[in-house]
Amino acid sequence: MTWVTKSTAAPDSTTILRGLTSRNRVPLGSELYNRLLETLYDEAAALDERRFDDWVALLAKDLIYQAPIRITRTGPNRDRDVMRTMFHFDEDYNSILMRTGRLQKSAWAEDPPSRCRRFVTNVRVAASEIANEYEAVSYLFLERSRGDNPHNETLTAERRDVWREGEGGFTLARREIIVDQSVLGMSNLAVFL
Amino acid sequence: MLQHAGLVLNDGTTLDDLVMRNSNEVSLRVMTDKELYSHEMERIFAKTWLLLGHESEIPKAGDFIVRDMAEDNVIVARGRDGDVHVSLNVCPHRGMRVCLGEAGNKTIHQCIYHGWAFRPNGDFIGAPIEKEKMHGNDIDKATLGLKKARTHLYGGLIFATWNVDGPSFDEYLGDIKYYMDQLFCRTDNGLELLGPPQRFIVPCNWKVAGEQSGSDGFHTLTLHRSLMEGGVMGGTAETIYDQAPGMYGVDVSCAQGHSLRCLEAEKTFKMFADVPFEGKSVVERLNLLTPPGITKEMIPQLFNNLSADQVEQLATIPPQVGGMFPNVLIAFIFAPRTDGGSSGALALHTYVPKGPDHVEFVNFIFAEKDAPEQMKRDMLQNSIQATGTSGTIEQDDADVWPVIMRNARGAVSKHITLKYQALHGHERPEGWKGGGLLYPGFTKDDTQWNWWLAYYDLMSAA
Repeated sequence: MTWVTKSTAAPDSTTILRGLTSRNRVPLGSELYNRLLETLYDEAAALDERRFDDWVALLAKDLIYQAPIRITRTGPNRDRDVMRTMFHFDEDYNSILMRTGRLQKSAWAEDPPSRCRRFVTNVRVAASEIANEYEAVSYLFLERSRGDNPHNETLTAERRDVWREGEGGFTLARREIIVDQSVLGMSNLAVFL
Repeated sequence: MLQHAGLVLNDGTTLDDLVMRNSNEVSLRVMTDKELYSHEMERIFAKTWLLLGHESEIPKAGDFIVRDMAEDNVIVARGRDGDVHVSLNVCPHRGMRVCLGEAGNKTIHQCIYHGWAFRPNGDFIGAPIEKEKMHGNDIDKATLGLKKARTHLYGGLIFATWNVDGPSFDEYLGDIKYYMDQLFCRTDNGLELLGPPQRFIVPCNWKVAGEQSGSDGFHTLTLHRSLMEGGVMGGTAETIYDQAPGMYGVDVSCAQGHSLRCLEAEKTFKMFADVPFEGKSVVERLNLLTPPGITKEMIPQLFNNLSADQVEQLATIPPQVGGMFPNVLIAFIFAPRTDGGSSGALALHTYVPKGPDHVEFVNFIFAEKDAPEQMKRDMLQNSIQATGTSGTIEQDDADVWPVIMRNARGAVSKHITLKYQALHGHERPEGWKGGGLLYPGFTKDDTQWNWWLAYYDLMSAA
């Protein structure tokens, strides 16, 4: 899962890729699977509880974190709907630090903070070709409550991760967030996915 | 004397009660009133020029994108003739959407309901079972095409209007064109859209976002104080209001409601605080602080495409942010990066009305076509990290607007007025070359008030 750029607005470059690319599956319930699942739960808790330092500690220094846009297609191209030339998030480790740093100061979008629940399900894991790196695909269901508005904003997505195992556990090296909406119903992404 | 507007709501409220030209106030009620909204759709969005996209999205014959002119969905397609056509995406047979995809390439657009078929330019081809003449006997095939909008390309940007006999695009743009050219028409091969736009819904009226696009510079100091805290702009968290970075410049505007904020870039950013620009030639200045998106190698192109006066302005006090009435925000920003790069960000937004209570925020991100691939990559990241869905600047705007909207619903609150009373008045700075209405000094409410006057003009026209 390497990153290639070719900037274009023409839809030729839409792609179909979703889910796992490696066939070397790590079975459900195995020790490795359980540890990775636990990491995903810990990560969701750190974000829900706004413990951003704890979250950043889970990120690799060479992190690539992107959320490509989805577009609606028809006919022979109907499934080629992930547009990897434009993103809702297009981040690296440093830009994530810029974002979390901002959240400690004057980021009115999250002050008062929204109250979030990240539900992480449908987790599938496979060993990648690189030693100690694992692909983990999960579904994310985000419920976000803001102010005194009784109606939550929600977002659903598939996350295609690469987690790297090291001395202190797993770190996130790559995350691609494939949101399901072509037009987001959430009025900003001041929260991480 | 002010004339009485030809628009009266069912409860007797006039446009003058809502947009108070004597006191420079606007009733908060304008943000929620459903009746007013339906008038806006007819008098503004079905009448004036609207931005839909960029021709780099549809490079080949048959390429199409689907966009919205307010709540009217349109197909924007390149025809066999190479021209860009904008047609209503509504089948004249039974009203179904003809094109259900968002982008692609088709030589024939066939409605999935009964099969009526159309060319990319909107022309009617026919209905299935030709011998049965299922399009009827009454109307000639030549007039059964999709309803066509009038289109205009400006710097590759695709504009369209339903007002076939109305003002030309140049008349619509007015005196602001001199300044807009410096952003959109400055290089040999022009701009390129880096990908399809980000799209998201903000639960507020289109005018809550729209009036800010009339060059509201003042909100930056408070709402976007994280720009100063993060050390990007001049000043620090402690000195934001003392130093007021980015506030002093020349705001330009025109009767059509468009505006731009022209700012001496070296005074906006910390890293240029100690670099003397005084006494340097235009080319030297351009090399020191190259406009966003432009490489040093591309500087000669500026002289090919702009007048000497325009290039001098671009090198000295370039337009950076502003908007086009009714619903375009322009952000051509110098965005020095934490890693030392300074390729900048070029973004345009349209605020597309989706009922009185919602607006679709459409974020178009550009680079110069001739820029190196790495620069395009940097600019994409800059724009995404600053503007649109997750941008650290515009996250905060999208947080404020829905709250204003909720306030506007209160029986008492809706009678509160928005105040545009901090006015400078038009004043031509010495030696200034461009036209239009000019407001030098600290950014005030003049340009936003002109936005409302443009609103008033269109709304009061029968």
